[in-house]
Order: sequence, then C-alpha cells, then structure tokens
Amino acid sequence: MPANRQVPLVGRETLGGAYHLLTFQHREAAREARAGQFVMIKAGSCAEPPLRRPFSILAVDPERETFTLFVKAVGDGTRTLCALREGEIAQCLAPLGRAFTLPPPGTEAVMVAGGYGIAPFRLFSEELRRAGRAGRVFYGGRAAADLQLRERFAPLGVPLVPATEDGSLGARGRVTVPLEAHLDGRPGPVRLYACGPDAMLQAVARLAEARGLAAEVSLDPWMGCGIGTCLGCVVLVRRADEPRPKYRCACTEGPVFDAATVVWPEHP
Amino acid sequence: MNLAVEVAGLRFKNPLIAASGTFGYGVEYEGLLDLSRLGGLVSKGLYLDPRDGCPTPRIVETPSGLLNAIGLQGVGVRAFVKDVLPRLARYDTVVLVNVCGDTVEEYAEVARILDGAPGVHGLEINISCPNVKKGGMAFGGDPVMTHEVVAAVRKATRLPVVPKLSPNVGDITVFARAAEEAGADALSCINTLLGLVVDVEARRPRLAFGTGGLSGPAIRPVAVRMAWQAARAVKVPVIGIGGITSARDALEFLIAGCRAVQIGTANFVDPGLYDRMLEDLAEYLERHGLADVNQIVGTLQYPLA
Repeated sequence: MPANRQVPLVGRETLGGAYHLLTFQHREAAREARAGQFVMIKAGSCAEPPLRRPFSILAVDPERETFTLFVKAVGDGTRTLCALREGEIAQCLAPLGRAFTLPPPGTEAVMVAGGYGIAPFRLFSEELRRAGRAGRVFYGGRAAADLQLRERFAPLGVPLVPATEDGSLGARGRVTVPLEAHLDGRPGPVRLYACGPDAMLQAVARLAEARGLAAEVSLDPWMGCGIGTCLGCVVLVRRADEPRPKYRCACTEGPVFDAATVVWPEHP
Repeated sequence: MNLAVEVAGLRFKNPLIAASGTFGYGVEYEGLLDLSRLGGLVSKGLYLDPRDGCPTPRIVETPSGLLNAIGLQGVGVRAFVKDVLPRLARYDTVVLVNVCGDTVEEYAEVARILDGAPGVHGLEINISCPNVKKGGMAFGGDPVMTHEVVAAVRKATRLPVVPKLSPNVGDITVFARAAEEAGADALSCINTLLGLVVDVEARRPRLAFGTGGLSGPAIRPVAVRMAWQAARAVKVPVIGIGGITSARDALEFLIAGCRAVQIGTANFVDPGLYDRMLEDLAEYLERHGLADVNQIVGTLQYPLA
C-alpha cells in the first residue's frame, strides 16, 4: 500500500553533470516497491513549484528502510529536490503504479533505456537475478556524460551496451541501432522493456510489433497527484478486448504499459 | 471546541470539504487518509453517461498554480451509484455529488437518479466547468441559464442543491442571487479561472484543449474576494473555494463570510493536509478566545470604519 510520509534525506551522491542519487527513509517504499514503480515527491520546504514530481525507484534497502532516486536537476522541482541536505525533509507518496513484469523462464529481458530512463532498470536487474532470468541493457544518450550508472549493471551479471548520439561512448547514433543488431542475431526468446523519451519508446514499440515481440514501456507524462484523481496524466490505451481506446491514468494503470496497447500521439 | 457547521441543512463535523475534481470519487484516498476526518467531500463531476474528457496534455503547472483541461472524464452517474456509493457509506462524512449536463434536462435526470441513492447527502451543480463545449460555464456565464438549471435540478430532487459558481463573470452577485432565487440551498464559490499558457517554442497552447481552468494558491485572493461578494449578496450559506492549502487560507474565507470551505488543488500536493489543517484551525480559534468556528464566520471588518 502506498504511504504518504514526510521523509528525511539520509544519503546523497553527486554524480557528473546535474545528476544526483538521493536516498530517503520510507518504510513502505523500501519494503514493497518493485521495479517500474515510482514515488511522488517534493522538497518539504518549498512552496514553489506547487506539485510533487514522479520518479522511478532506482534502488531499495529493506533493512535500512530506504529507497534511492536518480534525479537530474533540470527544472525548479528537481533543483529544489537535489538541493536538499541530509536530514532535511521531503513530502513523499510511495510506492505507486504498476511494475514491470518478469519475463517467462528462459526468456531474456532486453532493457532499453534513454538518459535517466535507466532508473528503473537497476532494481529490475536485481529482480531478474533473484528470479534466475537473464537480462541485458541497451543504454542510449546524447553523450557519454549522460550515460550515468552504466558501470552498476555488470556486478548484477547484466551486460550493458552503450550508444551515444555524438559517438563519445559505444555505438554512434540511436540506441535502437545496437538493439536491432542484437535482435538480428536471433538471440532466442526475448521480451523488451523500455524507459526513456517518448520518441524512443515509440521506436521500441514499433520495432517490437514488427518483430512480434512482447514489450513493456514505462511512460512519463506530467502527473498531478499520482493516485488517479486529477486525471491529468492519462494515456490513450486500447486493450485487445476493447472496441475503442480509453484514457487511462499513467499513475495507477501505468506507468508501465504493454506497448502494443498504447495509442501513440502524433507528435510533431 | 466546536468545529461543526451547518450548510444547506446538512451538518458537517468540520468546515473542511474536499473539492470536486481534486478528490476523485473519494475512494481513491482510502488508505491514505481517514475519510471520516473530513467535513465532507464532493465527487468528481458526473454526467448521465461515461465521458472520455479532453485530449492530452491536460495539465500544466503555473506559478503557484495549476492550469487544467481535464474535460470531466468520468464513469457516469449510474456506475457511481452502483460501484462507489456503497464504499463511501463506510465513512462518517457528508457526500455531495457534483452534477453535470450538456442540457438542462440532463442535469435534472442526473439529479433524479441521485435523489433516492443511499449515501448521497446533497448535490453540487456544476455550471462553471470551463473545459467543456456545452453545459458547464456556458450555463454559469448567463444568469438566466443559471436560474433555469438550478430550478430544474431543484424540481428534480429533495436533496440540498448547491450550485458551483464561475469566477469568469463580471459581477458574481448577479449569479449568486439568480441561483438563490431558483432554490439553491447554498453556493460554492468559486470554480477555476479561465487561463491560457503558451508554449513559446511551438507557439501553441500548452494544453491540448487550448484554454484551461486555473487553480491553486495563485487564485486565492480573487476567490476570497468573489466568495466575500457572494456571501454579502445572498442569505444562503456560501462555501469558499480557491487555493486553500492551510488553516490560515481557510480562515480567510471563513472571516470573509463563508460557512465552510473546499480544498482543491492542495489534495494533489499533500493528501495528508486535513489533519494538520484541523489542528491549526482549532489552535487559531483557541488563541482568539473562540469556542466555536461559527463565531469567526463573517467577522471581516470591512468596509473599514
């Protein structure tokens, strides 16, 4: 069950650029969260901006009753959060939303991350290892500096393939290029999992459909409440047994959706 | 310390009510807060049939506020009666249902269905939603239509009727009096302010609907002023709404003449705010030597002597 708590920051690590790892005390999130679930959080001291922000849960420590977020300070909400000092309070509702589902036995989990979309895949890799499933990460970004946390997957037995648009690390270009190369190599049964910018998610969904692969995508629309009351974060979804698509809350029925059911907006 | 208030013949155990459109159907908050702590709650707006609502994006954050164009997505009144009301019956709180319609007849029909429904204590009439093409603000922006809708609902139900007025009018007292004459038992003041946020890169509105309704602390001074004007213009009680995030905010409305208040956007930010607000409200009254929240209502010293 999600719980609404005032949570102290108990640990922080400043990575390169504007990236931070923030660890908060929160019993329910620490004990119950599964990969793909998220928290709604804002710095307790700030009146502005008004709304909490959603973040995927990067890691949990059930014994210390903490969870860790991977946050890039880009706007007012993320900057005030990243400016918290240890012991200072944030307001936090967690854990929320639907998690990724494990692939069937013998099926490899192919994770596709764009930028800070890497966040849920660390926890997912731990779940895969515990369940005895194989995993692999394709991680794309603009430059090497955007591929944070990339060294934290090998210890979990999960190989990681980087791709950067400027060619500063791994293959040059979109992350879907090495991904397609891997799938072309007929690796055996795979299921795709994607988290990142909408354009990347859409590309993964198209590619999954073309190859007849199952895919789960984690969507990140603007959210107001996180619990399905503001109806601000809805996504058009059409399930197989339904005659027409319906608006569904990304916060309660997602953020992880079966890619084949998502009706993608026609973005410019 | 008495925090109970009476509005529209209904006893609210305290003057804090969760506002329509910001509290779902109430049951979404089960497990996060004890709904019995609330003075009352107002459901998301309901039409006869389910509604899809507006395309996305539907919300955008603004300075101290939120601009939304949700467009009254909802399950329809029958599903609400069948699936939600039995769950709400477990809580000791006043349940108001927000009634919508594309036509006067639809408002009346929804009211009729709710009239005999167990667990419904009153109806809030939505004549002020800015995010629908028909009904909503189109009715609340015209005093003749306001009168017609309220009178039609009044005829269709024995339940208390509480029209929710729009701030997007020149003189809210005209609308307050029209609603009162048509048989309103109380008034909710105010709904959201019509706004527009522009994406300057794309040179398009940020919301798919175009315009939206502005809520949150940004609108509070406007809301207090309009609730104050309405409260002076009518005899029926006024429920103040607009940007309340704390007991002090609520007190502004009470002092300005409101008998109760609704908390809206703040529900999104902190669903746990009611306990803190009730504590702070009681503390304020005690500090001012008052034993009853009703003693603070309408005590604004203005016009100044």
